[in-house]
Amino acid sequence: MNKLSVAVIAIAVFTLTAFKPSASKLISKDAHISFFSHTAVEDITANNYKVVSTLNPTTGDIVYSVPMQSFEFDKALMQKHYNSSKFLDTKKYPKAKFTGKISDLASVDFTKDGSYEADITGNLTIKDKTNPINEKATITVKDGKVSLNTKMNLALGDYGITFSGGKPSTNIAKEIAVTVKAIYQQE
Amino acid sequence: MKKKKIKIIVGVLVLLLVGVSGVVYYLFNMPHRNIQEAKTDYSISSSEIVKEYLVDATIANEKYLEEEGDSKILAVTGKICTISEDQNNQKVILLKDTSDKAGVSCTFTEATNGSTKELTIGQTVTIKGVIRSGAGFDADLDMYEDVIMEKCDVVNE
Repeated sequence: MNKLSVAVIAIAVFTLTAFKPSASKLISKDAHISFFSHTAVEDITANNYKVVSTLNPTTGDIVYSVPMQSFEFDKALMQKHYNSSKFLDTKKYPKAKFTGKISDLASVDFTKDGSYEADITGNLTIKDKTNPINEKATITVKDGKVSLNTKMNLALGDYGITFSGGKPSTNIAKEIAVTVKAIYQQE
Repeated sequence: MKKKKIKIIVGVLVLLLVGVSGVVYYLFNMPHRNIQEAKTDYSISSSEIVKEYLVDATIANEKYLEEEGDSKILAVTGKICTISEDQNNQKVILLKDTSDKAGVSCTFTEATNGSTKELTIGQTVTIKGVIRSGAGFDADLDMYEDVIMEKCDVVNE
């Protein structure tokens, strides 16, 4: 092997590693999460448009990072209660996090337009409590753009949020419905 | 004499009831804080606040976040890196210096979206809003997260 061919191979290897699409992780910096609580007394909704999420189509890894103070309620007083140390304690725990995987990755074809049902498994941490999550999600590929929609129910008690009495115990459901919508961009 | 006494008692009770229900009604329907009309707590550059968070997030959270969610109101000056729109049709401006690892993501409102019309990428602006969370490297996301501000508007000097 002469010097030239060594140089050519070296350059070729370098170019291939440098310009290989780096695992092409998908990112969403403005995913939307809302939650809904229904009781006979009242319905409560809150919306958060500042959720950060990543999805790796190669490994199926999914992460959600949720800035807890970004949940916006209709009523200011409700928002104060939600943030306070008695409930979500958002000063001490400013972010909630989900880390998980698409467990049946083969059922999603990220290169082909379509709507795919996927099983997501992982762990959700709110405050300092972590619980396993097992949910179905819809992954949509349209014109190469990937989005994820899912709906799940969370039991507040699992995350140490309990109401022993008073207004919260009658006005806030023990189980709340959480809706997630993320539209991803190429990194 | 006795009748008069009863009248006074009833009168006091009615006043109390009106007062208490007034307070309850106010609390229940208390409006959200008007971020743009409220006093600015800190004026800072996007690089400075990101640095504060990367040095020690606990100290920065102690300084900027408030227990009931009424966190500090900031006027952040920085270079416009991106202009986008979120799922609620709110404009989002990322203030980030090219040499910084993270920036400040500023979400506008339906009422203030218009203020972003004249802005261009690379321009230096000051944006006022309420801080929701800080910057930092997240090992799970494998990327830096930006400082988050909401209810934003451009500050005109």
